[in-house]
Amino acid sequence: MKPARFAYERPADLSALLDRLASAEGSVKLMAGGQSLGPMLNLRLVEPDLVLDITGIPELRRAAIEGDTLVLGACVTHADIEDGRVPDLTGGALARVAAAIAYRPVRNRGTLGGSLVHADPAADWVTSLIALGAEVELAARTGRRRLPVDAFVTGALDVALAPGEMLVSVRIPALPPGTAWGYVKHCAKIGEFAHAIGAVRIEPATGRARVVIGAIERAPLVVAEAARLFGGRIGPDFAERFDRAAADGVLREAGMTDAVDRHVHVTILARAVAQAARPAPSTRPVSEAA
Amino acid sequence: MSTNAAPRDDRMPLALTVNGRAVTLRAEPRMHLADVLREELDLTGTHLGCEHGICGACTVLLDGEPARACLTVSGACAGADVTTIEGLDDDPIAGELRAAFNREHALQCGYCTPGMLVAARDLVLRLPDADERRIRAGLSGNLCRCTGYVGIVRAVRGVIADRRARGIAPTTGAQRGLGPVGARLGTPAEAARTPLRPVTATGTNPAPEAAAAPETAAPALEIADDFVPAHRFDQAFTVAHPPDAVFALFGDVEAVATCLPGAVLTGRPSPEMVEGALQVRIGPIAARFRGRARIFRDAPARSGRILGAGSDAGGRSATQGEIRYRVGPGEAPGTAKVDLAVGYTLKGPLAQFGRPGLVRDLAGRLGAEFAANLEARLSGAPAPPAAGLNPLRWLLAALVAPLRRRLAARGARRP
Repeated sequence: MKPARFAYERPADLSALLDRLASAEGSVKLMAGGQSLGPMLNLRLVEPDLVLDITGIPELRRAAIEGDTLVLGACVTHADIEDGRVPDLTGGALARVAAAIAYRPVRNRGTLGGSLVHADPAADWVTSLIALGAEVELAARTGRRRLPVDAFVTGALDVALAPGEMLVSVRIPALPPGTAWGYVKHCAKIGEFAHAIGAVRIEPATGRARVVIGAIERAPLVVAEAARLFGGRIGPDFAERFDRAAADGVLREAGMTDAVDRHVHVTILARAVAQAARPAPSTRPVSEAA
Repeated sequence: MSTNAAPRDDRMPLALTVNGRAVTLRAEPRMHLADVLREELDLTGTHLGCEHGICGACTVLLDGEPARACLTVSGACAGADVTTIEGLDDDPIAGELRAAFNREHALQCGYCTPGMLVAARDLVLRLPDADERRIRAGLSGNLCRCTGYVGIVRAVRGVIADRRARGIAPTTGAQRGLGPVGARLGTPAEAARTPLRPVTATGTNPAPEAAAAPETAAPALEIADDFVPAHRFDQAFTVAHPPDAVFALFGDVEAVATCLPGAVLTGRPSPEMVEGALQVRIGPIAARFRGRARIFRDAPARSGRILGAGSDAGGRSATQGEIRYRVGPGEAPGTAKVDLAVGYTLKGPLAQFGRPGLVRDLAGRLGAEFAANLEARLSGAPAPPAAGLNPLRWLLAALVAPLRRRLAARGARRP
């Protein structure tokens, strides 16, 4: 349970980090809070030659609002979001997701960027940020680019980072007034990786919805033509119109053959839809919300 | 693996404030904070249980906030203020908690208690009231195998209720900089720099021990005929060639291995037995499984069975697996549908990450690649490029590892 030897460096600015990332020989892993990489190092599932600690870079530890977009640096922690140390344009939705991730000691060091890059299919940000329509900003020595989170996460533990490239920030669009939001996960034990996640972002006024089913051991499933889950039309009565059989069909089409698995995922999605139809809780949870 | 490298001292200077006392020591980068505390500073009150962030026994305060000492490598907390259970002797909240734990019989063996007290202290500070559900949720990251938690929860409730009754308000935790606790900005970068070990000659950085391991005979693993897999799944894919051609190709072990990304044969395969290795990679995990497999074919039924076993280079993760396949006609004339039934058992560290669904996803993605390569080969296209670029494969390896042959599939079915 001890990591294999690795060299360790902690650059103090981004350009030095990107240079080092591009030039280092051998295998290199970036580390932020180390709450996903740490276990893999300890189990020796990962044995990098060099660990580049990115927490010494001020730019990655900032939060800002740009227009109607919240920009969070890669090293912002779950606890930072939970406690409201960063601005919020989502009516508390981000804080509620953050507060239920793992355990408080993990949230105090675990980061938004690290979680996304690790891309465990059962991780909270992977599914919730896809539902919120967030983007990631990636940087390399040669320049920067942005990708929607659903294009960034390409599979279980697999993301669209090119060699020499890293995630520097996450761009989360505001939830406009009148937008319904629901996020529900199922864990057998609080704090463990979820067995099912449902995330919905519904605009009853425009009839648009983004419905995401997560924790399916691959990249989250974004339901195409979400209206079919609501009898073909999305309106203020979306919760009553939610069609479990249609959701079951979506999962069946996606190849989920186990009826029990489908039942669990459909139930969690139904709960997320029901939650979206209720007014958002006025108080922020202080700790893990089941 | 450290045995590859010549002995060298790669310890780096580390300055910390521990329980109010400035300390300077030298620690290897790979050493985590809990070992620094226990081994270098003799602060053995910080306990180690799981060492991967689940059990909570190693929870300490980093810059005043609870964090996992086992998941904080030494360099990552340079300059930080560390408080261990030993440093809470004079802390008023910890004092109240100790009295309450004593009163409520909130400990038995005591192994979880240091971490439990640190976590409980954080709840006492933050929770607005003594809500049992929130206390239980808040303690979910600290495992106790003696008490059943009843006494612990009662103790924490009592302390919170008492403090709130005395008019002590909860804290919000709002006043601190962004980023992981204990990770100080402005720590001199030069201090946090250690030499890279010599890079292996092979360049592409597979798991280092794998690069150094000579391709000699595979370990002689027993393959039990009556093997009962712990996990099973079915997959299928189609190939735009007739079933007979596909089945014939499956009989050519070397051809199948070429179609399987990451596979290398060691020694000459016979129709009944094959030895080899499979390099797999998913995200940051790179593993190389070596082993052997027995091959059974039933030509009239165009079906077969591959039964294999293998282990990774360190011998820490091992797998045994079985693939049954059947080649039948596809929906369109002249095409074949390959049905696979995969069963496997995985042991060791990889198994802790090897959630069955992840294995299926990997099998699906690996299978898609295999099917495409198979298709190309049957069409007379050049051999696929050597493995190494594709980022998705490992566990599948695990199961199927030893069987040079891959199988899996994807098509429309990806649970």
